Amino acid sequence: MSDTSLIDELPGELLMWVLIISELLVFGAGLVAFMGVRLTDPAGFAEAQSHLHRTGAALNTAILVTSGYLAAQALHWRRAARRFAARLALLAAAALGVVFLIIKGAEYADKSAQGINFETHPFFMFYYLLTGFHAAHVLAGVGILLLVTWRDEPRNIEAGAQFWHMVDLVWIMLFPVIYLLG
Amino acid sequence: MRADLLTRAWLTLLGLSLGSALLTLVPLRPALLGAGILLLALIKARVILARYLDLSGSPAWLRGFTMVLSGFTVLIFGLYLI
Repeated sequence: MSDTSLIDELPGELLMWVLIISELLVFGAGLVAFMGVRLTDPAGFAEAQSHLHRTGAALNTAILVTSGYLAAQALHWRRAARRFAARLALLAAAALGVVFLIIKGAEYADKSAQGINFETHPFFMFYYLLTGFHAAHVLAGVGILLLVTWRDEPRNIEAGAQFWHMVDLVWIMLFPVIYLLG
Repeated sequence: MRADLLTRAWLTLLGLSLGSALLTLVPLRPALLGAGILLLALIKARVILARYLDLSGSPAWLRGFTMVLSGFTVLIFGLYLI
């Protein structure tokens, strides 16, 4: 099998896959650095982690995988010429993205009220950097989902949904490392 | 991707997420807990790659992504155990 045919096997646009792989590498490197720095103060990291709101983060996992499901369904429906259903699904996916951000904002507000910031402990520096960078991607993803709701050609929806699934995938790897591995 | 496969993937992801949450409530040795949490995350990532990102139709790519993510998970677990 030639290289060209292998690349042709990828669904959607090649550039979206370049973006997905790049983002996974960036967040992966961040998580490895987080675990590396944790070695210098495991007890301090565990204590800092106990301040996080695991229930809210777990709820956000359910919200993102549901939103991803709706984005994937939207593409399926658009290809089946069910344009209105596809648009509704995209809007619902974007709305769930907003809910994710509201919960994340509440989490940050709670940390702020506790006097926790970037400088409180190295754990929180990584926490804010990684979850904040991810939240920025969620915000961008909401915008992209709304854009492809408007410009709803199947290839646009596919690209938008792929970006959204990448955001989902990053959270799936980020959540257990930051919130659960004490 | 067929709609029923997508729905099954979504329900699987919700179930695995619930499993992760319940796992943290069970009194387990840290190594076992860490292994369980990371294994569930790896399975969730594979479901997203295969079904949401539709790599189930590109087995070579799905295998490649799974191998890299498995290596990443093992590295994280190793750092967790040190």
